[in-house]
Amino acid sequence: MKLPSDFYKIWAFAARSALVNRRNVFAIFEMLFWPGVAIFSVGLLTRFLKLDPETVTFILIGAVSMNTIQIAQLDLSYALLYSVWAKSLKHEFMAPVRLTHILVGSGLVGLIRGFMVFVVMGLLSMWLFDMDLSRPGADGLMIFMAGMFLNAAIIGAVVLALVLRFGQRAEVAAWAFSYLMLLLCGLYYPVSVLPPGVRELAQIIPLTYFLEYFRHFYGFPLHSAHPLIYGFSQSVVYLCLCYALVQYTLKSARQRGTLLRLSE
Amino acid sequence: MHTAIIAQGIGKSFRTGFFGPRKEVLRGVDLEVGGGAIFGILGPNGAGKTTFISILATLLRPDTGQARVLGLDVVKDAGRLRERVNLAASGAHFLWCLTVEENLRFYGRLYGLGGRALASKVGELLELFELLPHRRVTFERLSTGLKQRLALAKALINTPELLFLDEPTSGLDPEMAQHLRGEIQRLNRETGLTILLTTHNLREAEMLCGEVAFLKDGRLVARGTMPELQARLGLGDHLSLFFADGPGPLDYGRLPGVLTNKIEGNRVDLMVDRAEERLAPILAAVARMESRVIRVRVREVDLAEIYHEITQ
Repeated sequence: MKLPSDFYKIWAFAARSALVNRRNVFAIFEMLFWPGVAIFSVGLLTRFLKLDPETVTFILIGAVSMNTIQIAQLDLSYALLYSVWAKSLKHEFMAPVRLTHILVGSGLVGLIRGFMVFVVMGLLSMWLFDMDLSRPGADGLMIFMAGMFLNAAIIGAVVLALVLRFGQRAEVAAWAFSYLMLLLCGLYYPVSVLPPGVRELAQIIPLTYFLEYFRHFYGFPLHSAHPLIYGFSQSVVYLCLCYALVQYTLKSARQRGTLLRLSE
Repeated sequence: MHTAIIAQGIGKSFRTGFFGPRKEVLRGVDLEVGGGAIFGILGPNGAGKTTFISILATLLRPDTGQARVLGLDVVKDAGRLRERVNLAASGAHFLWCLTVEENLRFYGRLYGLGGRALASKVGELLELFELLPHRRVTFERLSTGLKQRLALAKALINTPELLFLDEPTSGLDPEMAQHLRGEIQRLNRETGLTILLTTHNLREAEMLCGEVAFLKDGRLVARGTMPELQARLGLGDHLSLFFADGPGPLDYGRLPGVLTNKIEGNRVDLMVDRAEERLAPILAAVARMESRVIRVRVREVDLAEIYHEITQ
């Protein structure tokens, strides 16, 4: 990578994402309102069900990670959706930018926003529902967050590929895909309660292992001997595959005229 | 003069829908454009103008043929080429919630500009296109004219050596369109910037382009300067002579430079190769026949006639 030219290209996408978020009142909603609603509703439900503190923590970890991942992947997904909505896609791809610039630039803002959501939700959980987020220690927290952001990047990259292939129509499919992934990885329940066949699918989702790793600090058993090795290696493989997929769809978009069509 | 664009046998087709048939949009287009020129591509809707310009601008890959722009292959060297060219199209579209200045900064960064270099380039363009008073206005609040000016400013953010303009004045009011044409001419004159433009506006092409090419049904059917096209198509300037008492016995068809002639009452309509050159000898020949011309009307052939002749 040639600095600082590459740095400015990355910064272009990061600054654009940050500016759009700053000017969009719904971005605040995304970061505060919905995560707040999630914590309150899930937390109060656990109270109503009179669950023991460990089970409450188990469920709240699911709620925190779901919202953190959803917000973190948004900026990556929006990287191209902003251009599609503005019909300016051809100008972006007319410039000498590479996929890495888009992914890193937009991903950076997603990471910051995701981190903020994690902090807000974590604090709310600690304050309202006595969840002890400090138990896994700084290392455990950082590893868990890294895992969540890797999963967010995978979802975001898949959305990018879908947008490049199908345009705006892909949005719904993209959100559906991310919810399906979150459903299968055992957010609010142990993977063991999933029906046979579906349970195997959970094993190929990296977030399953990161949740398992984080929850073991709270006394829940590990189902695999090396969850972090599985989680990180799967994440790296998927990220590489997603990168190749987005590259391929971009090449195909130049072949099919999608870049022009999405700019009309 | 170096060659800025060489396109050979460019073909492109698109599939309609998932399983629909392929529609051929370009069928083996060859074109060569010299550096420093303003070259126009004309043609009716659906002729393939935007597809062709998009291939040269690396936004589309050709199915067949190859093209080199500024010596670089549009497919293999696309990345390096993008640093040296830029594009402005009709119906400017940029991110709605960014201001004029923020949009320029965003695109400047995409071309690797930053710090003082970016600030100075953005400032220079804001001034050049009279956008300084609007620099803090968001794109969605700009008038069509201002949006188009921003599009041109953005197209110059990387100081390109070659600029693609796809219907640059489409949708603008006449005054603004004229202003932008002036800017395009000035840029070409002062910086030697090569400009390839597509347009529907024949007056615009006439005013701006040293040379034009006509695309029809995906084929390049003619190219050249105005006099070249005029000669090739056998089109000439129109000369009408009005007589006080009839055109007299002169055989107008045999006069030098006359391509066609028609007598209607006291009026003779001639089509000549070059009116400027032929008018005096024709009037002299008429005077020798002692016929009295009371009025002369001269109309030079225009691009509209050439366009009509080619597209029919």
